[in-house]
Amino acid sequence: MNASSLIATKERSALLQNQRGLAWLLAYAGILSAFALLLISNRELSLLDNAQVVYMMAGTVTAAGALIAVIMGSDAYAGERERGTLVPLLTAPISTGDLLMGKAIGLASAWGIMYLLSLPYLWAVGAGGQNLGQAIFYLGLFGTPVVLGFGYLAMALSARSGSVMSSLLTSLIILLFSASPLLIGPGLRNSAIGKALDAVNPFSGALNTYDAVIIDSDPFLSQLGRLVLVLLWLGIMFGVARLSARRPAFR
Amino acid sequence: MKHLKYLLAGSLLLLSTLASAASLQLQLKSDPANPGHPTMGDWMHFNSVITNSGQQPIEGLVAWISLVQVTPGKEQPMDLEDWSAHKAVTGTALAPGASLQTQWPMRLIQSGDYRVVISTTDRNNKTVFTSPTLQFHVAQKPVVESTRILPVALGIPLLIGGLLGTQRFRHRHRSA
Repeated sequence: MNASSLIATKERSALLQNQRGLAWLLAYAGILSAFALLLISNRELSLLDNAQVVYMMAGTVTAAGALIAVIMGSDAYAGERERGTLVPLLTAPISTGDLLMGKAIGLASAWGIMYLLSLPYLWAVGAGGQNLGQAIFYLGLFGTPVVLGFGYLAMALSARSGSVMSSLLTSLIILLFSASPLLIGPGLRNSAIGKALDAVNPFSGALNTYDAVIIDSDPFLSQLGRLVLVLLWLGIMFGVARLSARRPAFR
Repeated sequence: MKHLKYLLAGSLLLLSTLASAASLQLQLKSDPANPGHPTMGDWMHFNSVITNSGQQPIEGLVAWISLVQVTPGKEQPMDLEDWSAHKAVTGTALAPGASLQTQWPMRLIQSGDYRVVISTTDRNNKTVFTSPTLQFHVAQKPVVESTRILPVALGIPLLIGGLLGTQRFRHRHRSA
């Protein structure tokens, strides 16, 4: 097993076997459960159309996944530094590229676990309705680059700043701003500024795709532009993380 | 004589208005395959026929669908955002006597009483023509079932909480 696979395995197992990782996973499941319980405890929400509910759940999964990815990304380098394990890692016979790759794969595996965990929730709110299969497929296709992009952004900030608090706060502010379309409906974003932000915001890209394919049953081809947007986001954020991880702040 | 002049001018004005207003005819019918008692989540289709009954060709025709809720106490125009992805037909030309048939699909999102209408206008004519309205009732249907949600929403956090508890217990046991 090479060095990056070893680190990736350690990062993934940290989510399932470590108390801190399980607490993050519990927080993630708590967000999804709270939303699901809200649906049945509120009369207006319980009458929402199936497709609408599945769309909202897919958006919530993406937001909660990005939140956990940001926490994990912020911890990736700065957390090691604060625990005093970064210097031994950097002096070990492993390149900074391999270290980043291990952490990046670990984050992707963690998202894989979160994605699998979201499937029962999607089934619970959407079984018997339309486009549940599409919701699961597009959550994987569009949610993965968005969530991992935010994780890599936090990783880059974590490597650069060396402070968990600083990288977490900065990443959270960016995430909150990007995820604002969850609260502001498409009608209210129909201004020139709203459209311009939608065109460059990967979170909006994913949400608009969920809306189009789950509610309006639009075909895959009409989503290619948004797919390019989220893949660009992932590629750029991974590139930024690579640049930052070459010289992580360890003092 | 003066009255006769006014009468003649008024009649000409009325005739010219009627002549221009009658250049487009709209028909709107509910699709025969539509459910008899539609409920939330069902699809309905409405078929419209727009006919150029005038002598002049019509350029740049725009036709759109509107939905109005007429449930007592909740009367309001509806935003079709989630109801329909096919909200308008634009830029069509219609020769004299030609017709444009359009099917308007609609997914029923909320319960209540609704009226649907098709409106149309064109590039050169300022008049907006409307079809007769069709009224329908959408029955309420609870779509989120608590029997499915409760086991998942309570079971998964309990499972992870159990794993967390086991980890803590092992950790303490090892430390001791």
